[in-house]
Amino acid sequence: MSGPIAERAAPLPRFRAPAGLAGRAPLPWALSLAVALGLAGAALWLSGQPGGSRLALALTFGALFGFVLQRARFCFYCQWRDFLVEGDPRGLLGILAALAAGLAGYAVVLGAWMPDPSGTRLPPDAHIGPVGPVLVLAGAVFGAGMAVSGSCISAHLYRLGEGSPTAPFALLGTGLGFVLGFATWNPLYLASVSEAPVVWLPRHLGYAGSLALGLALLAALAWPLLRRLRALPRAETGERRIEAGFGSVFAGRWPVWLGGLAVGAIGTLAYLRIGPLGVTAEIGGRARQAAGSFGLLPARLEGLDTFRGCATAVRDAVLTPNGLFVGGLVLASFAAALAAGQFRPARPRPGHVARGLLGGALLGWGAMTGLGCSVGTLLSGIMAGALSGWVFGIAMFAGAGATLWLGRRTGLLA
Amino acid sequence: MPRPLIHLLAIVAGAALPFGAAAKETPAPGAAAQARTEARSDAAASPLVSTEWLEKNLDAKNLRIVEVSVEPGVFERGHIPGAQNVVWHTDLVETVSRDIAGPEKFTALARRLGVDRDTTVVLYGDNNNWFAAWGAWVLAQYGLVDNVKLLDGGRKKWEAEKRPLDTRNAEVAASTFAAPAPSTTFRARFGDVLAVAKRERDEQILDIRSPDEFSGKVIAPPGVQELAIRAGHIPGSVNVPWAKAVNADGTLKSPAELKALYAAAGIDGSKPIITSCRIGERSSHSWFVLTRVLGYPARNYDGSWTEYGNAVGVPVVNLAGTVWGGK
Repeated sequence: MSGPIAERAAPLPRFRAPAGLAGRAPLPWALSLAVALGLAGAALWLSGQPGGSRLALALTFGALFGFVLQRARFCFYCQWRDFLVEGDPRGLLGILAALAAGLAGYAVVLGAWMPDPSGTRLPPDAHIGPVGPVLVLAGAVFGAGMAVSGSCISAHLYRLGEGSPTAPFALLGTGLGFVLGFATWNPLYLASVSEAPVVWLPRHLGYAGSLALGLALLAALAWPLLRRLRALPRAETGERRIEAGFGSVFAGRWPVWLGGLAVGAIGTLAYLRIGPLGVTAEIGGRARQAAGSFGLLPARLEGLDTFRGCATAVRDAVLTPNGLFVGGLVLASFAAALAAGQFRPARPRPGHVARGLLGGALLGWGAMTGLGCSVGTLLSGIMAGALSGWVFGIAMFAGAGATLWLGRRTGLLA
Repeated sequence: MPRPLIHLLAIVAGAALPFGAAAKETPAPGAAAQARTEARSDAAASPLVSTEWLEKNLDAKNLRIVEVSVEPGVFERGHIPGAQNVVWHTDLVETVSRDIAGPEKFTALARRLGVDRDTTVVLYGDNNNWFAAWGAWVLAQYGLVDNVKLLDGGRKKWEAEKRPLDTRNAEVAASTFAAPAPSTTFRARFGDVLAVAKRERDEQILDIRSPDEFSGKVIAPPGVQELAIRAGHIPGSVNVPWAKAVNADGTLKSPAELKALYAAAGIDGSKPIITSCRIGERSSHSWFVLTRVLGYPARNYDGSWTEYGNAVGVPVVNLAGTVWGGK
């Protein structure tokens, strides 16, 4: 889709690998290599432990995911804002590419695991959640949190690796938001969630029907974006030519659609071997543990642990697959940012702290109540054929768009 | 330890177990038990099969391999080639009333699995075969007893030995199994247990919960919401936690060790035994060890503490003195 644009692309990256290694900035490169080797070593060590192959794989997938997110700037809010404010549709096309690749990949996996989707059973641990007004509210609040804090949870995680001054506060806020979510869960569950239907599209349409519908919806969303892309002046879409060169992989920014395809592939492979992609299970689980030990948790969270999604069940192990996934994500993003010269730590200003904490709290509440975030509920849900993924996604983009509009009108958001 | 050495040890242990077990055998209380333990050297008659035997016999005719794991998604992401999946909380039980799957439901399940009366069924699962043993207990009530075996060491050992896994679904021909009314030979009910508690019947109750649950210090393990209103245990029961029957590699201990383990708690097979826990699932594991491996007469009480500890007006022993709702 970016073929013609790429032909006349912006100048080649100035980066030359050997020169960069030898002369330009040896320290970041050495550090980046050390982190990458450390991750590989940790995965190797884990794989040798009894029952550790799953943990090793989780760390590896997390690292790959972090690398891809950082290299492609795969950030739901940034892409949405680019489109709304700058009129640039490329980022959103990248998200659609991720969904299309993942939809197809999941269909292949699920077709093997559950040849007949029409029964009462759901595929194992796929993120298929209840669809109702609470999910819409959760998506909208999550979207508002994205606009206030500047990105979603997964993007804050990879930005942590880039040295973002907001990310640490946003993630702290997310933890607090989870605790708020636990506090409001029981009334919401009893009033609405318990009655909300859990809709898995392949059960009603078959795998072929569900895949065809999903791809058709994505195509319908992509159509106006592609038209917009064609209308953009060439210079503005100056996307670099994709080369198999060293520099284009490690230094230049990837086209977002390439990142999208990689995210779809990682999502499928992670589901095949470990579980659906998600970045909030560990944050939620640890927040639940901490809140429990401070007596801030309701004695019972009604029905919560029976739902699919980013399960927040209290952890009894130090190392969990999701914890390692998130750890790998942050460290690989750090290594990737260093190598690309994009590690730019900044001293947090009060604005960063306030926006991070407030936006993070909204993100956390939305992710807890929606049983996952833009990765766990939206990406992994839509890929698995869950209606909940689509509903959360629409509400999330609406919430983020409305908050951004309001913020720009009042001068509070850029 | 280098991996080849572990493999070698595992293979040697696997091969030596049945013979060593038979050799170490002390005279059993009953002739039947004697015959059964001696037969452990013969895979056809043993209640356990080794991982090595199973890998060699994956394509054997008339063999069905069934996984019953607790963790969802474990089966789908890689199972023993040819294995079929059974979900413990929907396939083996009634989902509305509290009971094992009724004859109709069980018939449908057995047919789907391609299991007939003469089929050899090898069950295995995660968590040291905990729910696989529970599956064996349910199968036993529909007359599938001697031809049902556990994979010694379960998933854990199979994975540790890096034996092959498959993610494809096995396609088996459906059977024509028809379930009779479930037998009561292996199942104890509330009335049976109460009679023992009141010393109206001379039987033994083996409570396999953790020592803290047994003493009444806690009513249920942490994180469990299905509670009883009272803490403690059924009068006259003895406590041997179920996992004590298992070696570190997931295999069952030798019959001699198992005999010694239960004898230390006064259980030697001379009296009928009732196994019990919280919901009757962990106790199926001990039931399997007692009946199938040691040949003791044992029944499993699936009502367990969540039935007994909630019953009104029954005798209870509460060593810790925990009072429901606070002291």
